[in-house]
Amino acid sequence: MKIILDAMSGDRAPAETVRGALLARAEQGLEVVLVGQEPILRRELEAAGGAYGSGISIVHAGEIIDMHDDPSTAVRRKKDSSMAVALNLLRDGAGDAVVSAGNTGALLTGATLTVKRIPGIRRACMAPVLPVGQYGAMLIDCGANADCTPEYLLQFAFMGSFYARKLLGCPSPRVGLLSNGTEETKGAQLQKEAFALLREAGEAGRIRFIGNIEGSDVFSDCAEVVVTDGFTGNVMLKTIEGTAKFLMRNLKEVMLRSPKNKLGAALLKKDLSGLKKLLDPGEVGGTPFLGVKKPVIKAHGSSDARAIASASRQAAAFVEAGVIGEIEKNIAHMRLRGDGAAEE
Amino acid sequence: MILEKIKDIVSEQFDVDRENITEETDFLNDLDADSLDVVELAMSIEEAFKLPEIGEDDIRSISTVGDLVAYVKGIAG
Repeated sequence: MKIILDAMSGDRAPAETVRGALLARAEQGLEVVLVGQEPILRRELEAAGGAYGSGISIVHAGEIIDMHDDPSTAVRRKKDSSMAVALNLLRDGAGDAVVSAGNTGALLTGATLTVKRIPGIRRACMAPVLPVGQYGAMLIDCGANADCTPEYLLQFAFMGSFYARKLLGCPSPRVGLLSNGTEETKGAQLQKEAFALLREAGEAGRIRFIGNIEGSDVFSDCAEVVVTDGFTGNVMLKTIEGTAKFLMRNLKEVMLRSPKNKLGAALLKKDLSGLKKLLDPGEVGGTPFLGVKKPVIKAHGSSDARAIASASRQAAAFVEAGVIGEIEKNIAHMRLRGDGAAEE
Repeated sequence: MILEKIKDIVSEQFDVDRENITEETDFLNDLDADSLDVVELAMSIEEAFKLPEIGEDDIRSISTVGDLVAYVKGIAG
């Protein structure tokens, strides 16, 4: 299994991406292709004590796409960037998956333009898995597509279900449509029309649609696949991140308020660090892009070596699980006929 | 010939019947395309006709299938 790592992108690249590659090699036996400025990567490899050539190779790319580059044109403008070269390598079969901690929009656009969408898939999407319940809850889409049609949401539901079954190990993933109430009539036009499509797919036994769910239900373990448009999904994701930080900050303040509290905190230290881990992007790994022909994983921008290794492990699992083949096999059920009903 | 080839590409990318595509077909209004679709289409056209990269200004000026045909004719002769 060969992972193509965009070694120059991310807040802590290239030092941490290189160390992450070495971890992925040592712990998981993955081959890693480091893409970026060769002299710098060689230096980082030496500094990290890694042996160049033993499962770790370098492909030179002179430019870097940063957070200031326009996502829609970055990959076309910076053809020699580590991200563009990594995606080209994936397209040409030089590796099995790409991992990048770089500019999210540029990576998504680049994946769509270079690796291409699976035929019949309208839009690629981003789908992080929230640490909820036994299997997790995939929030799909969480920001790739601000404007969606009901058909996109139908496709997200299918893709999320395949991912949850194959990678999260959930035998029968429950699909909930994120709305402002659980009744069928709730939501804007998009949710109402998507509800009809999802119900139809559910009745045909192709997905397990449980109906509308509210934002407050997402963490109550009621669905493994939470379907939404990218705008709402992104607002929800950022709200969750902000709330988690707010809670941890306040919890810390309470714990330090008095000697008695400090004593209590000391007793709880191990469990609290477990809670912190639950909310740590480094432990979760990366966010898969679903709908493109080959696996592309977005690691968190602030990823350290552990997070890069974790995203690489996730990429390898994505390849092995055959999610993309499952999407291709079922594409006929994921598209609409001209009259707005799902194809049979 | 150019129109026929472009119809094939547009039909495949936007998943629409070839018969419904005319020179007047507007990418944004008739095919519900967004900016990513248009760049994707431009890349497919570059590949199919072996053209140099279509610039951002040119991409912005192409709104219909007819515009695209005229652009390709202008470059490819």
